[in-house]
Amino acid sequence: MALITRKHILKPPAPAAPGVAISVQSLTKRFGDFTAVGGVSFEVGTGEIFGFLGPNGSGKTTTIRMLCGTIAPSSGGARVLGLDVAAEAEAVRARIGYMSQKFSLFEDLTVDENLRFYGGVYGLDGSRFTARRAHILKMADLIGRENELTENLSVGWKQRLALGCATIHEPELVFLDEPTSGVDPLARKDFWELLYELAASGVTLFVTTHYMDEAANCSRLAFIYRGDIVAIGTPDELRSREMRDRIFEVEVADTEAVLAALENDADVREVYMSGALLHVNMGEADGAAALLDVALARAGAAGAHASRVEPSIEDVFVHLVTREQRERSVI
Amino acid sequence: MRAALRRVIAITRKEFIHIRRDPRTLMSVLLMPVIQLLLFSYAISFDVGNVPTVILDQDRTTASREYLAAFEHSEFFRVVDHIESDTEADNAFDTSQAKVALIIRPGFADAIAEGHKAEVAILIDGSEPNSAQLGRAYAVALSSTEDRHVLVSWAENQGLDMSAVGGLSPQIRTWYNPDRRSADFLIPGLMVVIIMIVTIQQTAVSLVKERDQGTFEQLTVSPIRRAELMVGKVLPWVLLAFVETAVIVAVGVLLFGVPLRGSVLALALGSVLFVFSSLAIGLLISVRASSVEVANMAGLLISFLPGFMLSGFAFPLESIPPALQFISYLFPGRYMMVIARSVFLKGADVATVLPQLIALGLYTLVSLTIASLAYSRRLS
Repeated sequence: MALITRKHILKPPAPAAPGVAISVQSLTKRFGDFTAVGGVSFEVGTGEIFGFLGPNGSGKTTTIRMLCGTIAPSSGGARVLGLDVAAEAEAVRARIGYMSQKFSLFEDLTVDENLRFYGGVYGLDGSRFTARRAHILKMADLIGRENELTENLSVGWKQRLALGCATIHEPELVFLDEPTSGVDPLARKDFWELLYELAASGVTLFVTTHYMDEAANCSRLAFIYRGDIVAIGTPDELRSREMRDRIFEVEVADTEAVLAALENDADVREVYMSGALLHVNMGEADGAAALLDVALARAGAAGAHASRVEPSIEDVFVHLVTREQRERSVI
Repeated sequence: MRAALRRVIAITRKEFIHIRRDPRTLMSVLLMPVIQLLLFSYAISFDVGNVPTVILDQDRTTASREYLAAFEHSEFFRVVDHIESDTEADNAFDTSQAKVALIIRPGFADAIAEGHKAEVAILIDGSEPNSAQLGRAYAVALSSTEDRHVLVSWAENQGLDMSAVGGLSPQIRTWYNPDRRSADFLIPGLMVVIIMIVTIQQTAVSLVKERDQGTFEQLTVSPIRRAELMVGKVLPWVLLAFVETAVIVAVGVLLFGVPLRGSVLALALGSVLFVFSSLAIGLLISVRASSVEVANMAGLLISFLPGFMLSGFAFPLESIPPALQFISYLFPGRYMMVIARSVFLKGADVATVLPQLIALGLYTLVSLTIASLAYSRRLS
């Protein structure tokens, strides 16, 4: 059975810099002419919930794949739990957990069979598996449903089971790639409770999401746009540092028409939907409220109710993305 | 190494659960071989029997009636009508009422009485070549034995020395399958075809399915290595293929009475090589296929057509066009077909089928190497 002979004996983990779970230096991935990730550098501390935000196709998943050791960087490098992701990919994979939006459960297997499979994959022995299984069933609120087919579980349960499978080997670091997409708000809230518990027990979480309310749950955030990190910091830092613009929330009847009109208004910097309301960025100008009233009148929504709000993470995100788009189109 | 083994076992166990839970896979693995066995062995039997026959007796003597009685009592011919003229025989063929017409001209009894060879005309509808060929063989065989029988009975009646009257007629004998039972011929062949179809198709689909479900992505982030995944996923099909081979052999021998005359070791060796070579083809399909549907179709095409047509199962390979003969070397069926039939029918041992075993072994080695290379390149 030459096929399954171990090529490398796993080395004991190299001592990580204290408190550093992930350290990335000029990490780059090119696919032909296309640069998916263009030399990003950042650090993630142990026990952090690190949020990785960016529009689709901005390089989030490519970065995660390199950090998990499934694809090799074109240049630059990263150390995950003190291990080099390129040279020690196999050791990295044994020590991290990974959960994607697809949940990666086998739908035609029961809850128990899924756990047993991942227990086998991560080489858990009998007593450790028994303990972990009991823990996960309790954590995912699946006691009594061990023999149910996974396909019959509701999305919230599947999501918790997927997290359980991804952490069955008690990894020190878990990558979560859009773990909550397609899940209802209540289940998302429950799920974040679980993530908090994990983080409290010292596990580092690396989360990508496009739910901006979730981004606020992270201890630190990085915005990636077209392969570059354009901002990084705690949610508060980002709101105060990156965002001096004034944001107004506007309630109008015909949102689409007003949105279209404001988009072409010279005084309006950014305008977009936020829930059922419009968010309007009027820049840093003084007297922004008065300018907005005029602009609304031009858009045929004179007298619409507008109130200044604290910029949310979503406002920062839109602002950063629009700024990047503007700057890059100039070049 | 132990950790790797544990991972392979985890995958294999999971695969067995998939198989158990999926009615379609279960059907194609368990039911299809049984249906094919029954279908080919009973319904589409190449045995010819009960051939509808019309009889035109223009001699109308004791001798002619005695001769015809042999045909009427044979299981091979079923006399559907006694006709009065040659035209009626034509009509019977045109309306498919009969496939054989037996005509005895006037003077049949006289010829026999005079010690000459009596003439009997046997017309055969040639539109179904397989039946026609066998029909002719049977009719000639039956005639020649009956011929002598008639001669002998006449000789006895007349108190003559029979050696003075009768001449020896040619005898047709079929070697290795003296009863010309098609089950003996079909079941060893079916074994080859069924194993090839099931193994190719299921290995082709199972790897693609993993990719389709998105679970593959998860596995790439786990400690499972590519080779372990491949071994774990194909292992259930190797085991099932061996079980199926054993079942078909058992059903063939016990239920259909197919003789297993040769070396079981030779058959087992051939089967192992054959299963692995089919597996390699399945792997190659799964590497190329973009979806489960594509893998399914490709698996069907690549296993069914060559399985039936280019393995020697349905037609002797010497009788197909040279281009197709050349293509037939690209599929493992033809090598295994020879091994299976030789062992079952001719009583071959390892030494007898050694050339085929070596050919199959080389084929397996080359195809598995190509498949593994393609597989690892596809994944990286």
